[in-house]
Amino acid sequence: MRKNLITVILVFVCSFSLIFIAGCAKEQAVKSDVELTQAQPTTEEAAALKEQALKEKALKEKILAEAAAFQNIHFDFDNYDLKPESRELLEKLADWLLEHGDFEATIEGHCDNRGTAVYNLALGERRAEAAKAYLINLGVAGTRITTISYGEELPADSRNCEAAWAKNRRDHFIVFPKKQ
Amino acid sequence: MRKITGFLIFLLVFWCSSTACGKVYIDINSPAFQKFPVAIPEFKNLGKTGAEEKLSVWFADQLSRTLKITGFFKIISKDAFLEDQNSSGITTGEIDFSNWSSIGSDFLIKGGISYSGKKLAVEFRLFDTIEGKLITGKKYWGRPEEKKTMVLKFADEILMALTGRGGVFDTKIAFVGRKGNRSEIYTINFDGSDPVRITTYNSLTLLPRWSPDGSKISFTSYKAGNPDCYITNPISRKTKRVSRFSGLNLLTSWSPDGKKVLLVLSKNGSDDIYIKHLDSGRLQRLTKNRSIDVSPMWSPDGRKIAFVSNRSGSPQIFVMDSEGKALRRLTFEGSYNSSPCWSPDGTRIAYEGSSNGCFQIFSIGENGDNPTQLTFEAGGGESPSWSPDGRYLTFSSKRDGRERICVINSNGLNLRVMPGIKGIKLFKSPSWSGHLNLY
Repeated sequence: MRKNLITVILVFVCSFSLIFIAGCAKEQAVKSDVELTQAQPTTEEAAALKEQALKEKALKEKILAEAAAFQNIHFDFDNYDLKPESRELLEKLADWLLEHGDFEATIEGHCDNRGTAVYNLALGERRAEAAKAYLINLGVAGTRITTISYGEELPADSRNCEAAWAKNRRDHFIVFPKKQ
Repeated sequence: MRKITGFLIFLLVFWCSSTACGKVYIDINSPAFQKFPVAIPEFKNLGKTGAEEKLSVWFADQLSRTLKITGFFKIISKDAFLEDQNSSGITTGEIDFSNWSSIGSDFLIKGGISYSGKKLAVEFRLFDTIEGKLITGKKYWGRPEEKKTMVLKFADEILMALTGRGGVFDTKIAFVGRKGNRSEIYTINFDGSDPVRITTYNSLTLLPRWSPDGSKISFTSYKAGNPDCYITNPISRKTKRVSRFSGLNLLTSWSPDGKKVLLVLSKNGSDDIYIKHLDSGRLQRLTKNRSIDVSPMWSPDGRKIAFVSNRSGSPQIFVMDSEGKALRRLTFEGSYNSSPCWSPDGTRIAYEGSSNGCFQIFSIGENGDNPTQLTFEAGGGESPSWSPDGRYLTFSSKRDGRERICVINSNGLNLRVMPGIKGIKLFKSPSWSGHLNLY
């Protein structure tokens, strides 16, 4: 019984070794082929490769441009509720992030300069978190989204009037390729 | 200003009549308080060299300026003076007090300067011109560059003699100065002199708070990417990071003994108030709430904490005990009240509240009595902080479209705008130090 078992094991080991050796040989052969092709590409092939690279570059640029184009969403004074138009924008952002899994987003929450700096830091955090929660609700993984509040410290418009304040009460989105 | 070693200045206390000594002339906190009218003629040259001449005017001007800044004095114009300086002296017997009482100057300060070797000797005397009596007098010896210290020391004596308490000449105000998208922490002396930059991070750095003994300043900075809390020594600049959770790390108050700090952390998704024990690093959570809870501030006895919460719908000031219990709402008037700051005697809380679309400084009794608006100007006021004697408040206010650091007396009078710093357009979040024993 015991002798039989040893035989079986030996057969198995031998078979695997053979497969492994054969595999190595095959891979080597393919590899040398590839090297040969790359060393002397025909003119047509070179052109095709170049075109391909250009297409990829253009596509990448297009995606980056799309990533950079997400508009700010705005809020009412002392409020972090998402407005209907903000929800629409967030839905577009969520679709885009679901389509481009290799991208992440940072949401910056901002406030106008009325009220207390400290309270506004908390309010900015709530505004960023409100957008993040909505994106998560739409299926985007929470690990892909970070939030940071800048309170009233980084106004988009530094004037002191309702038009500027309305612009400053915002979430700003930074969408970027996942860091390796 | 540099700390000056004790031996350089020797004080000689002149005799003074028992009726004048220790008499508190007027209660400066009374609503009916009238400023002390005081005349300060040029100091007399008591020496034989010419070196004293140019200092005669300097001492009179510097003392006038210093007393004016306190908000308790009305300086009588030199144009009104009747006395012939050459024929009068600086002691009781050499002064015709009717020359001063007749021009409405209830008080008179006379001084004399002489050099002894390289040392400067300056005498100061404060008189009551109605009673024709010396109230207090001092003589200081020191190096000529210590002359401002002599003025500040005598100004302190004057306040002590007339109001029963000294001044805040040895205090500083820390604040944020912003330029573009960057801000740093600065300090400035009580009188607006000697601005010093404390941080150089080229980042956003916010919320300076002095430790009770004045040896440290805490702040929040984005220098490592996240708003983390740091504590620095403003002299050695040795800095330690004390809180770095993800999300907000805001340090808004030190305990009276300096051993604990109040933090606002948003690490659990909702910003809440925590006590951090600086020695052990232990964190103790005080609020657990879905609302915004920020700006906690310890009462001077360390038993209570005032803070801002929007749990009732809009930002209002609440008070709880230091365990996070016995919660009560303090402010009911107005739709936005925040930035509570406890007065040093614990009786009142200053805060900012919205009034006609703009934020103004208010104070309210610790029990919620008698909310009082202190500022009324169009520039408004934000982030009040008391002086250690409770006689003043500093806050930020918009002046000509720029945000500046201002000081008022606690009765709302005597507004003073702190001088700017070149290249910086926005100043905010002032924090008044305790006594730093600078002089």
